Amino acid sequence: MQVFTSVLVLTIVFLVFVITDIRSYKQRKVESMESLAQVVGTNCISTLEFNDDDAAKQILEELHTVSPEIIQAEITDKDGKLFATYIKPGAANFPVPADANENKFTFTGNRLFVTSPIISNNSTIGKVLLQVELSELQQIKQFKYELAALLFLFALLFSFLIAFFIQGYISKRLLRLVNTIKRVSKTGTYEPIADDGKDEISTLIAAFNKLMQQVQESQKRKDEFIGIASHELKTPLTSIKGYMDLLKLKEDRQPNKQFLEKALQNIKKLESLISDLLDVSKIQTGQLELTICEFDMDVLLDETIAAVQMVSTTHQIIRENKAKNEIVIADRQRIEQVLVNLLSNAIKYSPGEKEVFVESKKSGDELIIKVSDSGIGVPKEEQTDIFERFYRTKGISTHISGFGLGLYICKDIIKRHQGKIWVESQAKGSAFYFSLPLKKSE
Amino acid sequence: MNKILVVDDDTDILSLVEIVLTMNDFSVEAISRWEKIDDSIEHFKPDLILLDVSLAGADGRDICKSLKHTNETQHLPVILFSANVEMGKYLQDCDAQAFIAKPFELSHLLDTIKLYVN
Repeated sequence: MQVFTSVLVLTIVFLVFVITDIRSYKQRKVESMESLAQVVGTNCISTLEFNDDDAAKQILEELHTVSPEIIQAEITDKDGKLFATYIKPGAANFPVPADANENKFTFTGNRLFVTSPIISNNSTIGKVLLQVELSELQQIKQFKYELAALLFLFALLFSFLIAFFIQGYISKRLLRLVNTIKRVSKTGTYEPIADDGKDEISTLIAAFNKLMQQVQESQKRKDEFIGIASHELKTPLTSIKGYMDLLKLKEDRQPNKQFLEKALQNIKKLESLISDLLDVSKIQTGQLELTICEFDMDVLLDETIAAVQMVSTTHQIIRENKAKNEIVIADRQRIEQVLVNLLSNAIKYSPGEKEVFVESKKSGDELIIKVSDSGIGVPKEEQTDIFERFYRTKGISTHISGFGLGLYICKDIIKRHQGKIWVESQAKGSAFYFSLPLKKSE
Repeated sequence: MNKILVVDDDTDILSLVEIVLTMNDFSVEAISRWEKIDDSIEHFKPDLILLDVSLAGADGRDICKSLKHTNETQHLPVILFSANVEMGKYLQDCDAQAFIAKPFELSHLLDTIKLYVN
């Protein structure tokens, strides 16, 4: 765009330059020929008065030496009758345009016609007409156009080169900024962009750096707050839970015992929520560390299913397509957390249904685990969003509790294991998959 | 009767653990100030120490390490407990026997203690 603008401006400037130069040349030529015509007129006064056409012709022939460009000269008397004429030898006959006699000068093609009255004692006694061949004009035109074209090409090349280097310099810095923005939005990691320039892009980069520092600072404060708050919440919760457990042991009367059960169930929910908040805080501050070991996924699946089954009174968890004794290299506790989360979600989001299915299947050097239900499903447009922080499916009725943290934590845990987690869902039911690297056989 | 020394600066949790352990036939000494550990060990002669990690003015892991490096106390099993689950990773560093995350199930607390005193 900048180069296009430069080319346009250059073209206009060179055109104006050439046109002005030609106009100026023509002006000069008119002035000099008018003067010459006046001189010829003055010299011919006596020849007209004495009707000496030979002398007039002689004067006209003298023009050949004064200005070789003049190819024709005429003197007419006051009645317009031709009195004397001169035609340059070898010159092509060119008709005099009709308006040449009326105007002081006329340009026709590359010819100039100049007329000047012959005045004696304040009365016009005749007229001089000069026809000038502007052969020089063609040369000037050609030279000017060639010069303009050459300068234009040189300027164009020069502006291209400058634009190329400037654009390269600007584009490089802008692309660096764009790439950083993309990385921030994709991974959440940010490194300040170094730029020591003093132009608008530097101002933009400095403003972006400052903004990101503020964002990071506020993110850090928020994450620290979540960490401290979650930790501080756990201490009183320990007392509440412990004393209620004690009370439950002592209390046998109904409905008191039932009330205590309800309170304890909610304490468990609160405990799990605080634990999730702490995990999110760790993910955000990069403190979520894995304790990697080798273990049999088959055993973990059975143990986890048994533990979740114990607390579920509504659903039966069924294992299908068992991949037997597959050894994975992972953080056992964290993978258990992912499984518990997916199983709890499958139960929670399939109210009125009775079964949840778990499958494990070997695929290349990975083990794929599938947890599926016949519940409310996940709309296609939300299948990526559900793995984001605090995201809850729009169609969920408010009585299904949740904070929108579980799948976000699962995604991070699986990602840290170089695995993948995704969901497939039709109109009814959804299937959550995750993959884990298998131990390579020796 | 097995003797348990409980150290936690949160007096509510301290009383809770004291009640639960007493109910389960343990002899308990509960202290909220870590500075009194040496005195308590000397006169109470515990069979196990249940030690909070985040104590006011001290780190339970450092206290544990120091106990394990003293001839008179190195044989004593130490169970750490904390609201910060990450602390469980430092068991080996301070030679503690076990870690219990707060909030805990009473049954889990009792089972873990029984594992090291019998």
